Amino acid sequence: MSTEIWLTLLACAAGTLLLRMLPLLWMQRHLRRRDPVRQGEAMPLWLTVLAPTMIAAMLGVSLIPVSETPSGWLATVLASLVTVLVWRRTRSLGWPVCAGVCVFGLVSVLSLLSI
Amino acid sequence: MSNLSAWRLGARDALPLLGGYIPVAISFGLIAVQAGFTAGAAVLVSALIYAGASQFLFIAMIATGAPLWLVIVMTLLINARHVVYGPNLAPYLPSGRLWPWLMHGLTDQIFALAHTRLPQLQESQRLGWYCSAALIAWGSWIAGTALGAVAGAEITARWPLLGQVLPFALPALFMVLLAPRFTSWQWTCTLSCTALVALVLKLAGHSNLAIPLAALCGAVVFYLLQQQTVRTEAQHEH
Repeated sequence: MSTEIWLTLLACAAGTLLLRMLPLLWMQRHLRRRDPVRQGEAMPLWLTVLAPTMIAAMLGVSLIPVSETPSGWLATVLASLVTVLVWRRTRSLGWPVCAGVCVFGLVSVLSLLSI
Repeated sequence: MSNLSAWRLGARDALPLLGGYIPVAISFGLIAVQAGFTAGAAVLVSALIYAGASQFLFIAMIATGAPLWLVIVMTLLINARHVVYGPNLAPYLPSGRLWPWLMHGLTDQIFALAHTRLPQLQESQRLGWYCSAALIAWGSWIAGTALGAVAGAEITARWPLLGQVLPFALPALFMVLLAPRFTSWQWTCTLSCTALVALVLKLAGHSNLAIPLAALCGAVVFYLLQQQTVRTEAQHEH
């Protein structure tokens, strides 16, 4: 790689780090100026709404299966249902994910065998 | 809970991320080598930029000879959504000089995990939990890239199904993180609309815009429903 490309890489890395770091420093300074007991209220409402909607958007984007075939979508729907059902039963983080991936794999293998 | 337990919990919480990170990192390593980067350079891109979509764009633009200033602008534009993550975690992060630097590990998925888990932990345990989860995610991304750069073609040829099945760990994780937030009609509508808009945008080929645009749509839905609720309550009072 040429020196110019290395410098471009470093600029992208530094810029990405600053995008993640500077807003945190800004909010920490903002919170320090406020009453420490009422820090939750010091958070702008739009910011507290934007956090769960960002996670929901990530969910929407990641729901699209790698293989966009009917069997891929079927596996996604069934695995999603199982994930939610196992979460309702266990209220844990790991087991629902594990069950969802297993069902997705099972449906994928079964649909491969049926072809 | 001891500090060691916080590290263990962080590691356990981050494990589902590996299912999503490793297959994508292997693809990245493979594509980077095919685009003319050395394995070492591909690993460095993953270690330093550490942001999935923008890394793919970085490689593609460099390979096609795009102007380098445009490569920087586009990479930062794609990563601009990260600006809302730090402020949302700020109330849960104890003061310390280390925290700003640790934001290097604040990916979409680590943010989603931390936003749910940090409020449940005591202040003294948060650093251990975050370091553990972020290091595992970062390490898996770097290791996956190295594996993809060295043996990506062979792996994808031998186990093609693995790359299709394991990425489901990410939507499953997001579902589990969001499920406790479906507490009211307002939040149910907001989150469902957001996920649907993101899905449609991605299917329409707007991969890079899907997350920020859908999140903004969701916020608009939230405010509209809130205004409606306030209006209805005011009418009932009269």
